[in-house]
Amino acid sequence: MPAFGSFALLLALALSGYNLLAGAIALRQLATGSRGRVSPERLAETARRAGIGSFFAVTSAAFALVWAAFANDFSVSYILHHSNRALPGAYKFAALWSGQEGSLLLWAWLLAAYGFVLRARHKVDVKLTAYASTILSGIQIFFLLLLNFAAPPFALVAGTIPQDGFGLNPLLQYPEMVIHPPMLYLGYVGFAVPFAFALGALMMRYPGDKWIHITRRWTMVAWLFLTCGIFLGAHWAYSVLGWGGYWGWDPVENASLMPWLTGTAFLHSVMMQEKRGMMKNWNVWLIFSTFALSILGTLLTRSGLVSSVHAFAQSSIGTWFWAFLVIVLVVCLFTFILQRDHLKSEHKLESLVSRESSFLFNNLVLLAACFTVLWGTLFPVISEYVQGNKVTVSAPFYNRVAVPIGLFLLFLTGIGPILAWRSTSFKSIRKNFILPAVAALVTAIVLVACGVYPLKDQGTFYSLMAWSLGALVVTAVGSEFLRGAGVISRHTGQNIFASMIQLTRRNTRRYGGYIIHFGVVVIFIGLAGSAFDRSVEQELNFKQSMTMGPYRLVCQDYSQDTNPNYDTEYAILDVYRGDKKITQLAPEKRFYQASQTTSTIVANHSTLAWDLYVIYAGKDPDSGQPIIKVFLNPLVAWIWIGVVIVIIGTFVALTPNMTAAYAASRSRLPVRETPEMAVSKGGD
Amino acid sequence: MSTIACGLLLIAIFIYVFYPDRHPEAQIQKTRLDFLRERKEVLYDNLRDLNFEYRAGKYPEEDYAAQRAALENEAAEIMAEMDLLERQTLHSA
Amino acid sequence: MRKLFRFSQLGLLVLLAIFTMGSADTAVRYNDLGHKMMCVCGCGQILIECNHLGCPDSDGELAELRTALSQGKGDTEILEAFQAKYGPTVLAAPMLTKFNIIAWVVPPLVLLLGIGGTIALVRKWRLRTVAMPAASNVRGFDRIRDQIRKETEL
Repeated sequence: MPAFGSFALLLALALSGYNLLAGAIALRQLATGSRGRVSPERLAETARRAGIGSFFAVTSAAFALVWAAFANDFSVSYILHHSNRALPGAYKFAALWSGQEGSLLLWAWLLAAYGFVLRARHKVDVKLTAYASTILSGIQIFFLLLLNFAAPPFALVAGTIPQDGFGLNPLLQYPEMVIHPPMLYLGYVGFAVPFAFALGALMMRYPGDKWIHITRRWTMVAWLFLTCGIFLGAHWAYSVLGWGGYWGWDPVENASLMPWLTGTAFLHSVMMQEKRGMMKNWNVWLIFSTFALSILGTLLTRSGLVSSVHAFAQSSIGTWFWAFLVIVLVVCLFTFILQRDHLKSEHKLESLVSRESSFLFNNLVLLAACFTVLWGTLFPVISEYVQGNKVTVSAPFYNRVAVPIGLFLLFLTGIGPILAWRSTSFKSIRKNFILPAVAALVTAIVLVACGVYPLKDQGTFYSLMAWSLGALVVTAVGSEFLRGAGVISRHTGQNIFASMIQLTRRNTRRYGGYIIHFGVVVIFIGLAGSAFDRSVEQELNFKQSMTMGPYRLVCQDYSQDTNPNYDTEYAILDVYRGDKKITQLAPEKRFYQASQTTSTIVANHSTLAWDLYVIYAGKDPDSGQPIIKVFLNPLVAWIWIGVVIVIIGTFVALTPNMTAAYAASRSRLPVRETPEMAVSKGGD
Repeated sequence: MSTIACGLLLIAIFIYVFYPDRHPEAQIQKTRLDFLRERKEVLYDNLRDLNFEYRAGKYPEEDYAAQRAALENEAAEIMAEMDLLERQTLHSA
Repeated sequence: MRKLFRFSQLGLLVLLAIFTMGSADTAVRYNDLGHKMMCVCGCGQILIECNHLGCPDSDGELAELRTALSQGKGDTEILEAFQAKYGPTVLAAPMLTKFNIIAWVVPPLVLLLGIGGTIALVRKWRLRTVAMPAASNVRGFDRIRDQIRKETEL
């Protein structure tokens, strides 16, 4: 099986190479009108099929690796280091992405899968897809080169083959870890598709901006996966690392946040191009940098340039990534310089108060946030270079510098929807702005009255801001829904709820987007709660109790257990609120045999108001008494609820509009459109 | 066993890639007419949006009239050109 | 506009007040300082949040912090003492000294420059609002316009 895997990877490389070469020749011939022995159409078709073929080859390789994991084939070095016999099945599957070689293979496979879908759906726009497919094969070649020559997943163990493997990193033995990396990679890799389309459209001087329409769903899907990946990671950190938080501004976390920020900026500003033919240069560079940042993120963590808790990621393949990043940037720059006259804007901005300019500011702030994260991540390197010593740039830096930017962004989230496209006067804005502003003010006053004093400390001030701005955004978005529904209701005589649903279906992207904004507010509400986290650590013996906020924890028992994979030690705690027993929590400490490491399993009683988050911190080395650490983290549940709302909103935005049929049914004129053009209509 | 699997994979993919396909999709260059159609659709969407937002109370009257006139002018020019091109293709056909 | 200016002044004042606020209570200071430093064992965690079993360093550091607080040392003094002992990486974020100032200044500066630049750009881009564009001189404009209106009404 290892031989088959290696062969499949080599074959995939050959096929991708052929795809790039034949595709480039065919497109060149089509562009210049010259012909070879084979017609360029035929050549392009074989290139496309080679791309599809490489998907099957990479799939075979991935299958071979998973097979080796399940067959406990420890002759494969990768399996030896990332699995063991006692490992449960799901985690054996996850072994595919728990180490470097495997995650590169996963990356290549996901890229091939995206490429497969793209090439299979080439009839949407044959020529543009041919360009995109050729560019994607170039990216694929890079990953396959790595897999074949720098980080081969099927390398064999030298000498005698051990009886059992070294096991999977226990931190990764958690259900979410099975889906977090693929989600994140789906996001990273997904941005390669709009990148390839944008670069292809620029190379072929694609007339018009229809390509944006074609890639819109790709971009949204990539964004959705990245969002899910980031928050699954946060939830994993919260539930497994056991330090009571979900975001530590670790370089690896930052690396995933950066393309998310530029990707979000792209999703917004690309609407200006689609609707108004503006900002073409800017959008091209946004998607270029989003892709480059997803490569840079990998580079930063793999090369060991910045130190990170994701230490398993470190290796020598950083150089490869450097080279690839430089090539990508050179190709982008070169294409841009050659074709920049193609990117002239058709319109100018009419006014400072239109939605167009709010998108400008939104982009600016998102990019400033991205820059801040990049700056903070790289500053230790800069510092070492300039003043000869490393410094740490961690949470306090970001809390002070990035949080205000985030709040500004939250503010824009509410302002944007109020503004209309091309609007020029303050008059209507003032009218629409009053209600949200009042809502924000009232919220602030009520909160201060309830004891949230903004001058108490920095965190409280930020929280107050976040909640007030949240009220502003919710009111703005809500009134936007109501106003729109009002129009429909007057028009059709439906009630307001039916109108709201129809409103959303008429323009899924806009109202789906508003739902996402609402979700973002909910997330911010949860994040703001972190300013009020409390924790207490205490030795807790049998039948003793401790209190945290309204809760009283009584220790019922300490116990031990063992299974082939790990030994576990845990406490059984009864949780009382007043005299009523609410629940029983069992925080654990596990010792994994194969890897000889410990890990915590947090016990969490989550309510909408707060999480009672309990850790069994082991025994005091001197007294031998068990130590329990309890956190009371307010509002954390809202973060996860907000994420679910964001996901729902994205799904709404992904559904096609019904406007086309609606408009056609109302117009008595014959509709001269291709069916594919009618897929979705309407605006932003 | 591995060798057989490798061989099968190689042959299957080779046939798939190079098996002569008589009718590859033509790489059609987008015509001016296609381009104009897309532009018209975009302008129509903008107009629909404008009408909707106006009714939702986001534009003052005079703003609305000016915006609408600008968009209509643009759309009219495009439609006139489309008309011309369509007539030409009818003639040449 | 002037109102906006006054409002932003007020905002700045509030911000300043927040950043310069001293914390008096020892427990609060312990918590604050614990969040301003790192565990030096290589786990990459904030000192007070370091939670792995048998950490060789965090307990010692925290004990030192408690001692320093009980001796009535000031925040800056404590941070500097830790920096001298463990090296600059012990601080969770660089202090406002020499080169390190750049770390703090650059991001807000970039944002401010960006805002300035964007406003300038918008002003440059901005068309004078057309009062009312003249009707197009396309042949049969009225007919086409009627068609457009019919096709784009709600």
